[in-house]
Amino acid sequence: MIYQRLFLTALLIVYAVLAYAATTYEAAFSYEPVGPRAFPLLLLALLAVSTVYLIIRPGQMAEENADTPLTGHVLGRLVLCVLALSLFAFFFEKLGFVVAAFLFAIAMCRLYNGGWVTSVITGAVMSLAFYVLFDRLLDVPLPLGVLSGLGV
Amino acid sequence: METLGYLGQGFGVATTPLNLLTALCGTLIGTVVGLLPGLGPINGVALLIPIAFALGLPPETSLILLAAVYLGCEYGGRISSILLNIPGEASAVMTAMDGHPLARQGKGGIALSISAGGSFMGGLIATIGVTIFAPLLAKWAVAFGPAEYFVMMVFAITCLAGMAGNKPMKTAVASLIGLLLACVGIDSNSGVYRFTFGSLGLADGIQFVVLVLGLFSISEILVLLERTYYGQSALKTSGRMLFNMKEAMFVKWTVLRSGVVGFFMGILPGAGATMASAVAYMSEKRMATKDNRFGDGDLRGLAAPETANSAAACGSMVPMLTLGVPGSGTTAVMLGALTLYNITPGPLLFQTDPQLVWGLIASLFIANVMLVVMNIPLIRVFTKILAVPYWALVPGIAIVTAIGVYGVHATTFDLFLMIGIGVMGYILRKFDFPLSAVLLGFILGGIMEQNLRRALSISNGDLSILWSSPITWGGWALVALMVVLPMYRGWRQRQVARPANP
Repeated sequence: MIYQRLFLTALLIVYAVLAYAATTYEAAFSYEPVGPRAFPLLLLALLAVSTVYLIIRPGQMAEENADTPLTGHVLGRLVLCVLALSLFAFFFEKLGFVVAAFLFAIAMCRLYNGGWVTSVITGAVMSLAFYVLFDRLLDVPLPLGVLSGLGV
Repeated sequence: METLGYLGQGFGVATTPLNLLTALCGTLIGTVVGLLPGLGPINGVALLIPIAFALGLPPETSLILLAAVYLGCEYGGRISSILLNIPGEASAVMTAMDGHPLARQGKGGIALSISAGGSFMGGLIATIGVTIFAPLLAKWAVAFGPAEYFVMMVFAITCLAGMAGNKPMKTAVASLIGLLLACVGIDSNSGVYRFTFGSLGLADGIQFVVLVLGLFSISEILVLLERTYYGQSALKTSGRMLFNMKEAMFVKWTVLRSGVVGFFMGILPGAGATMASAVAYMSEKRMATKDNRFGDGDLRGLAAPETANSAAACGSMVPMLTLGVPGSGTTAVMLGALTLYNITPGPLLFQTDPQLVWGLIASLFIANVMLVVMNIPLIRVFTKILAVPYWALVPGIAIVTAIGVYGVHATTFDLFLMIGIGVMGYILRKFDFPLSAVLLGFILGGIMEQNLRRALSISNGDLSILWSSPITWGGWALVALMVVLPMYRGWRQRQVARPANP
């Protein structure tokens, strides 16, 4: 319950920042009575009211969350997973899709309890198969990065 | 009569070889996605949008693909509910209540076939409903001006919260967050940059695909990570695979009632398949007077939610096609896909794009038949898929997600934005805020603000235009009803609870 209240309070602070930003939105010239800031401000006001209500009466949590308690171990893995995703995004163009996806798939496989050998095989198969499928067959251009010198 | 002519034309569109093949692929993919634990129709449809786009499919074909996947997921969701007791998605939760006990009693095959039959009937009833009601509603909706539209959107949002059962406030907050996210980017009327904080990547707003995949794919990956420990094995389906006449007669009325209930719940904006299956189950449970074995393997308890969720899946196409207001999270994704094709759903769609609308409706019929034909013989193959381990599944989902997002603009900024949205979505989910409400809000946000501003431009800033026509009065009355409903429900719960513990 305490975490939820903290989260909601953090949301309130975000609303305040956004509302401050929204007050500066002014149309240089306008043909209409409602400017660009009315609607966001209305939403932020409604959000603030309902969030305060939730801070006072948070209500019950669903059962779904009760049986998967966030232990330190799980939390660590979640952080690793987000890190892996971010690194994948960072290297997507720098290393190129095939290499980045290969490394990323190995990391994800390991995170989800795959063995080392299976992870490497999965990574290799997936990175190449998806590259061929999307870049060659479906015309979604994917960056080749470090492999672009190979002239494939 | 006119409708039948159009429907015939629709069948003409739906039975072209390309569209038939698409429907077949869609139903297959949908069933597989639906039965994978944790993946539901939203994930399936969201992942397929970039692919449908990349394939260069014409709009009606890709809409057929998405609709077939949607229906397929509703079919597939029941398999993991019945055999594993793990609902593949929220709308299959009720199926597990009676389906799993049946499977444990060794009647897994009967349970699967009766639920396939129920899904088929539900889909059929609802598709007939769509054929009858959608053109009527579209004809009527042409009279909508901006003010009426705005009220309609307010109704959709409050309906979402009012029908949300035990957490109306959280649903309201979630949909407001969605509405606010829609404000990001250049304001099309004044050219002002809103909430971009100097970032070029946000200048033309948060891309729809980025939001959907972040909310539903990345957050799902994180949730799956929590559950990696689970290794429950599927129950074997042995014995008779097909239900007999006696069993069919036993659930006949349940199926018919649940189909109608499901269809109308599907039409209501925001209620969707999850609500429909819960309502159908509860009302059938209350109506069953003699040999009530609900919760313990009653065939009616299995047929009711399955029929209702398929009916609702079809029913939710009605508000999407006629008003441009999605009836569920999944139709919200489909609506987003339509806008990618520069097609604005709404009442005029029936006049401007009849081949699209009627092709879609006809393909709902076809997909339904394909699903029931495919599901009975292939059930053993499908149950094999339940054994796919997470270490193979999740990296695949993650990579396809990243490709889908990168494919939109070819910038890595979108990838980072998607991860950020995904983490935010995961946190919201942990605190029990419904993510589909965020998505619905996001879809409605832009149209809602445009219509409000247009209405007030017409009236020169006079707010009374928002309640100046009979349609708006009706709309506001419905809004009021939806605001009062959760309060009344809370009050009644306290009334019931009081005598129990004095």
